Amino acid sequence: MAKEVFYSGCAAAAYGAKDARVEVISSYPIRPYTGIMMELSKLVANGELDAEFVLGEGEHAQVSIAYGASAAGARAYTGSSGVGVVYAMECYSPAAGGRLPCQMAIADRALDPPGDFGSEHTDVMSARDQGWIMGWAESPQEVYDNTIMYYRIGEDHRVQLPQFCCQDGYFVSHIPGKMQMEDQKAVDAFLPAYNPPHPLNPQKPINHGPQIFPDQGSAINVQRAVAFDDVEAVISEVVTDYNKAFGREYSPFVDEYMMDDADICFFLQGGHARTARYAVNHLRKQGVKVGVSRLRFMRPFPTAAVAASLSKVKAVGVIETNTSYGGVTRGGNIAPEARAACYPLDKRPVITSFMAGLGGEIVTLNEFYSMAKVLSDAVKSGKANASYWMNFEKEVLDTHK
Amino acid sequence: MAIEVKTQNLEMAKSLRQVSQEEHYVPGHRTCQGCGPALVYKLVSKATGGNAIFLGPTGCMYVANTSYLCAPFAYPWMHTQITNGGAVASGIEAAYQVLIRKGKYKGELPSIVVMAGDGGAIDIGLQAMSAMMYRGHDALFVMYDNESYANTGIQVSPATPYGANTTFTPPGKNVPEGRVLFPKDAPQLVIGGHPAVHFVATASVAYPVDLINKVRRGLNYKGPSFVHLHAPCPKGWLFPARKTIEVAKLAIQTGMWVNYTWENGEYTYDHTPKEYKPVKEYMKGQYRFNHLSDAHYAKMQAFIDARLKAPGKPVAIPVQGPREQA
Repeated sequence: MAKEVFYSGCAAAAYGAKDARVEVISSYPIRPYTGIMMELSKLVANGELDAEFVLGEGEHAQVSIAYGASAAGARAYTGSSGVGVVYAMECYSPAAGGRLPCQMAIADRALDPPGDFGSEHTDVMSARDQGWIMGWAESPQEVYDNTIMYYRIGEDHRVQLPQFCCQDGYFVSHIPGKMQMEDQKAVDAFLPAYNPPHPLNPQKPINHGPQIFPDQGSAINVQRAVAFDDVEAVISEVVTDYNKAFGREYSPFVDEYMMDDADICFFLQGGHARTARYAVNHLRKQGVKVGVSRLRFMRPFPTAAVAASLSKVKAVGVIETNTSYGGVTRGGNIAPEARAACYPLDKRPVITSFMAGLGGEIVTLNEFYSMAKVLSDAVKSGKANASYWMNFEKEVLDTHK
Repeated sequence: MAIEVKTQNLEMAKSLRQVSQEEHYVPGHRTCQGCGPALVYKLVSKATGGNAIFLGPTGCMYVANTSYLCAPFAYPWMHTQITNGGAVASGIEAAYQVLIRKGKYKGELPSIVVMAGDGGAIDIGLQAMSAMMYRGHDALFVMYDNESYANTGIQVSPATPYGANTTFTPPGKNVPEGRVLFPKDAPQLVIGGHPAVHFVATASVAYPVDLINKVRRGLNYKGPSFVHLHAPCPKGWLFPARKTIEVAKLAIQTGMWVNYTWENGEYTYDHTPKEYKPVKEYMKGQYRFNHLSDAHYAKMQAFIDARLKAPGKPVAIPVQGPREQA
């Protein structure tokens, strides 16, 4: 029977992994994701989960252990935060290029310097071009659900790709919420056992990752690209099936709130969407026609779904929670992609980057109100700056008075 | 919950005639003439008898062996990064443990063999190798030692001998000997700090039966084992390709290489000459040492003499480090 529990995002990820029946787990401590491994190690020690729990000697090894296990034919699970995520950077491309669908749970954390435990998406966003499926949950419930769904997406033979299953550090990973955990049998019915097409097996030898000559490179890479073309269809199937099986109401790619009659919207991913919706409730009472469009997948970037969602409004404020120094908007990484997605539209909304929630700062209601003011002005004038660093820019500071 | 995972019990060979003629390392590679590491691959894969998974961290044996659609491995083989041979092997071993336990894989645990060069074993790959040893995974870590990064054009590695001319340690006016440091002691690194390890051995391509048997003894242990293999490199050391075995033998006759086994704390020595020849005899046959003066040879001789007092154990009198010399 499904049961209602009160879990943090870390516990939700651990129980999602348990219900996904992961077989090899590799751990290494770093805040804030550590809680996931603390839960899983207990489950393994108690015999509630039959898995090999391998104590990695660092994140680089964690990912290596996971993709090795995946190559041998086991469902593998690992994770990290912050500098740990970037320390493992070398290992992301071999996992994706080897088409090894292991999963890595990320509880985001700011990078150094200075040492900061706070949530910021820059850690794993730095790895967004490595060929991993990647998306953010906004609640412990979605963390649990995504953990299970991502395995079915990644292990689908049309896909065969590893997955970053992300949640905001602390805001999601450490704040408990009410959630529903599903019956193991029902999860088993939804998520079949991992069935790799080419496991490492002495009875059926294969060569994994040989060297190629330069003129053979694109022929190999295009297969990874084609797999990403197929991922969107698989995601739609899997999310639809999951909703049907467990009574959820996820839209596959973009989760909308009060978007149908909106003039402006906040476009973002992860846990700050909850504050955004709260701000929208308040702003709506003031007569501001504002909505929220929340991105559920960063890779594959759901280009068509984003264009369809953002085309409903006249101005879009992208709340970045990640940095790309010297990037095209001088802001984060999401706005350039949102702009590119909307470029073919006949009537494009004004799209601006709000640099907010960096280093783990809370994106406050007041900041959302300021952003709404900037966006409302943009609707009138038809333009806005490419990016605003919240609490540092004149336009933003003025509205706080 | 833990069930017994059977591992193979490989028999020792008394002579080469007893070793199967079946080849697992087959044509399709592009190694140099006289390549020591290629011989290592041939002998180690013969030793496993077939039920094996090989891992190849980046190194000359990756670059020279694997060309897409044309590779010489007649067994499952996987490339790993140069950094993570030990970690990927750990993942594969852990996967097989759980798959066998759950009845998803029928058959015995395959021999999992990491074929790392000196860089992939005790330089950039040291952390992953050490962690695999420490955690006690049932896998064999082979370090085929050609004493340099041969893949990228003969750069120095921690296994490079004192006085070697490599492309990162060229001899010059200020550094006449080229390589100023003495090498890391790979087997001692493993023996010294890994309680799960029962078997560590060194062997040479000059003694193939000994090499095969040491690989088999390592594989027969449940748990990690380490075999350090001396594999002369004609291209890197600059000697004629036909002399690989001769050079390997001379290394043993001069004490530059010692064949030994460490098993549960006990050392045994093989192929020990009655009287050691001077190291100069070994060094003068290789262009990489051609620039050395008699003082340099004497320094090397002193190091080897100290090491031979208790071969396979740490040198009692440490050699001066580069900062001490200044």
